[in-house]
Amino acid sequence: MRPVEVLLPERFTGLRLAPSAPQLSWSLPATIIRVYVHNFSLVLHTRMRKLGLALFRGCLDQSRLPHSSLSYHAGNRLKIQFSSFLSKILMIISSNVKLYAIYALSMLSFDPSQKGRFVLTNIPVTFDKTWLPSFTELIQQDGPWHKWELFQLAIEAEEAKAVSDFDQLQCLKYMSNLQPFPHQLQTAERVLNEMRGRAILADEVGLGKTIEAGLIMKEYMVRGLAKKILILVPASLVIQWTKELNQKFGIPAVAQKKEYMWRQYDVVVASIDTAKRDPHRRHVLDIEYDMLIIDEAHKLKNKRTRNYQFVKEIKKKYCLLLTATPIQNEMDEVYNLINLLKPGHLGHSSSFASTYVEGKRQAKNNEKLREEIEKVMIRNKRRDGGIHFTPRRVQSVPIELSPEEMALYEGVTSFVREHYRSEMGTFNSLALITLQREVCSSREAAFMTLYNMYQRTPEDSPLRPSILELVEMIKKIETHSKAAKTVELIKQINDKVIIFTEYRATQNYLQKYLSEHNITSVPFRGGFKRSKKDWMTDLFQNRAQVLIATEAGGEGINLQFCNQVINYDMPWNPMRVEQRIGRVHRLGQERDVFIYNLSTSGTIEEHILNLLYEKIDLFEMVIGDLDDIVERLHLSNSLEENLISIIMDSHSSKEMALKLDNMGQAIRTAKAAKTRSSLLPEAVHGP
Amino acid sequence: MNQQEVRSYIERYFAAFSTHVVETHPHYLTVKLPVEVDKDIGNRPFYWSWVEKMNLPYQPMVLTFIFQPDQVGTDIRGEQIHFGAQRLQQIFQSAANHGRFVCMYEHHPAMLSALGPGARRSNPLTPWLGLNVKISLICDKKKDLLLYLGVNLYQPRVVHNFYPFLQRLQLQPSIPAYYYTQAQTISLGQAVGLLEQEINRVIQQQDSRWATEARERLHDELEILEAYYAELALREQTKDEAEQSDETEEEAVNIPVEEAVDENRLVVECPEDKVVEPVALPTSIDEVRAGGGRLLDFLRAHSIPETPKSKINQGEWKKSTPQEEKKRRMEELRWQYEPRIEVTMINGGIFYLHNMPPFH
Repeated sequence: MRPVEVLLPERFTGLRLAPSAPQLSWSLPATIIRVYVHNFSLVLHTRMRKLGLALFRGCLDQSRLPHSSLSYHAGNRLKIQFSSFLSKILMIISSNVKLYAIYALSMLSFDPSQKGRFVLTNIPVTFDKTWLPSFTELIQQDGPWHKWELFQLAIEAEEAKAVSDFDQLQCLKYMSNLQPFPHQLQTAERVLNEMRGRAILADEVGLGKTIEAGLIMKEYMVRGLAKKILILVPASLVIQWTKELNQKFGIPAVAQKKEYMWRQYDVVVASIDTAKRDPHRRHVLDIEYDMLIIDEAHKLKNKRTRNYQFVKEIKKKYCLLLTATPIQNEMDEVYNLINLLKPGHLGHSSSFASTYVEGKRQAKNNEKLREEIEKVMIRNKRRDGGIHFTPRRVQSVPIELSPEEMALYEGVTSFVREHYRSEMGTFNSLALITLQREVCSSREAAFMTLYNMYQRTPEDSPLRPSILELVEMIKKIETHSKAAKTVELIKQINDKVIIFTEYRATQNYLQKYLSEHNITSVPFRGGFKRSKKDWMTDLFQNRAQVLIATEAGGEGINLQFCNQVINYDMPWNPMRVEQRIGRVHRLGQERDVFIYNLSTSGTIEEHILNLLYEKIDLFEMVIGDLDDIVERLHLSNSLEENLISIIMDSHSSKEMALKLDNMGQAIRTAKAAKTRSSLLPEAVHGP
Repeated sequence: MNQQEVRSYIERYFAAFSTHVVETHPHYLTVKLPVEVDKDIGNRPFYWSWVEKMNLPYQPMVLTFIFQPDQVGTDIRGEQIHFGAQRLQQIFQSAANHGRFVCMYEHHPAMLSALGPGARRSNPLTPWLGLNVKISLICDKKKDLLLYLGVNLYQPRVVHNFYPFLQRLQLQPSIPAYYYTQAQTISLGQAVGLLEQEINRVIQQQDSRWATEARERLHDELEILEAYYAELALREQTKDEAEQSDETEEEAVNIPVEEAVDENRLVVECPEDKVVEPVALPTSIDEVRAGGGRLLDFLRAHSIPETPKSKINQGEWKKSTPQEEKKRRMEELRWQYEPRIEVTMINGGIFYLHNMPPFH
């Protein structure tokens, strides 16, 4: 190759290029590549003076550069004789004396150790020089200077805060109150290093998605990559999130209350329903958020909703979507959620459909789809290794009813059956179903419903006497075997206990009954406000022995300091049983979990417990499994509705037992099928 | 920083401000904050502006820092301090603000004792510019490099690890007797220019794979985006009218049918509802105080007004066009991935030295 003759600006004469300018070649990835030249810098090492260095700097924008964009076709091996490339650059230099760094795609950086000695750094560098004037002034006036000790302390602080590594988590040393679990750390690392801060966190309930999100947020904050952060959560969780971020992570998050707060504070927690409304919306859409976090993101699965559109319009650098619901039901939902995060990642919706979707709930090209989904979604499951859960100990507590109690049960049951079958003219079926359930729980619960029924029937109705008859039976009962057994059990446990019941009347009665037996208790209901729930949880933790709860749900209520659960009555919906267990058997529970199921002999309760416990092993199941299994049953109605119809429509207790048995069998089969195919990803259940 | 290092740091910080130590205990430390410190870490700007405006004597704030919370009884009230604590970060910031620029002279014990009482001011001290900088390599992740550079202002040359070298010397803020300082042969601006060149050289020597990879990621993502919106435009064009009627759901937004997207049209009009009235962001309260302004005026001038009810219009909701969406997404991607390097100054000073740092 001939030496290149280049016209150099005057002050560079004397510099000559090495005669053996290297020839570069590299293969390009598919499609067309545009080379954008924003700015560049160039280091020349000449032969004559090895240390000779010419550094050109300045700035040029794309439009002013000739030949600023070149395009090459896919797959071709591209060869550029470096000399000609260089001569172009030098021509530019001679015409524009001020020049800076080159941005010419990733490929244009060469190994500096190689003979070629041409180093094209193409990364823009900004020098902070704002300090120079004040320093100059100090020198001119010779002071006032700062103290040497503080000068040293300032450097030490910077040394302690400096991020020494691209990939390693830095945030842990900033948090003294938090010991994350290994899977939470792994998740945070994967989101940072593989997903680049845009991910769906879809851990099963109770594995600490909030912790994972907090870790990621803190990491970006510590690295100085995120400052302005928005966290959108359901209104009921705003305070909880704010509290947790402050306490566990030392992140100064505030709950959004007033309009000015959007701009005044860097880390804001708000409800999505507030944020999407004016005047808030225009602030939110105007701000560039370094990070956006959305809790309960499965609510954004429909792309036509305003919430979805709103989230899509928020300007964000990093983004985390948190959801506990496995997004497996509809293929569309997966697509929509991922499209919020990375539009186009799964292609256009119709090409997505033709590539991956067979039926509404069936995927094809599973392997490929799973790969794609795993690039943006992390789902830790309880059954995965590394997440340790303490054992569960389940015990049935059989209760023999007194003759009066049994008579009431029989009386109510036959009353319910009779009217349920007689075409439900008089009473609505729901009231009858409720009555049937309640009589298994407590006479108080049944009494309230009977009383209401009585009120609603016309005065001359022939039904009134039969209702009154039942009420008379209730009045005759003096013992309460179940409550008595419960007290006995609590005294025997001699520790904190959670009692779950389905009915408020039972809850009230139990509270009175327990206090008569000198047992302290606090109530807990779904209808409580968030602050009251927190207060009750607090009272239970610090003052009372027993918490009597009517609802197991309630997002974000953690009761893992307690490990004893009494199921006072059995919900007919197995999901609710699972939710109850999930309140205490979650991450952070350090002791074995004891579950006591009260079962009155010779009643429906016994049948139900038999189904849940013996037929489908519900109590041994991992939380979240039931959901998947029910999904597989492809029931036309919910599991609960199926159970109701079995219980209410059976003509004999034998028939009911048989039908329940069949039900159990079906669930077991589905369960076995699930275990076989558990290699398939959560989101794409094949046929 | 472990707890011991945190403690030592805090103690040295307070010592630098001659802070009155109320109580020192192996597990905690109680101090009475001096004015300067109180203003930096006391979190009570309103108190200070009030005290200063009304010309009142101030009540010093007393803080107790607890280093071993598990070993301290409940009778000790204080705040737990550790590396991540907000207060320690404020102390860091305060140290950074008060430890920015120094001017120090080397006092060399051997030389001093060798000089007789009648010695003249004939021993030279060489002027140096010391500059400590942080180089941050930034893409979607980040890494910092700290450089401790020095420039000889008398015989221009650049050395590394200048600050560690300084730590081995005896430095005082005043010139020792019988010494004179050599004149600078280059200006501060020139010296900074040399340092900048050296920093550039260091940057060039860095492994630039991080940037290469970030660009590749950016490139891939942009490519996906191009393809996606191109296809979207194509589909929008041929969109079936019948599909439109399906879209009327309860919470559905009225989405105007988009016209075919011209892929090359990059400039899009900003929809009206996106224009937000400029909202004044408060400048620092410190500035107001320094300028002697009234705090109330400041608050009035800088408060962010609540939008009056009458101006709130929930109706004005418009979905972005695909072009707007694409443009926004491209900006987001560049923001996230585009590699860049930021060089910030930690602190610096002028040093008059007898000893010479080793030249690398």
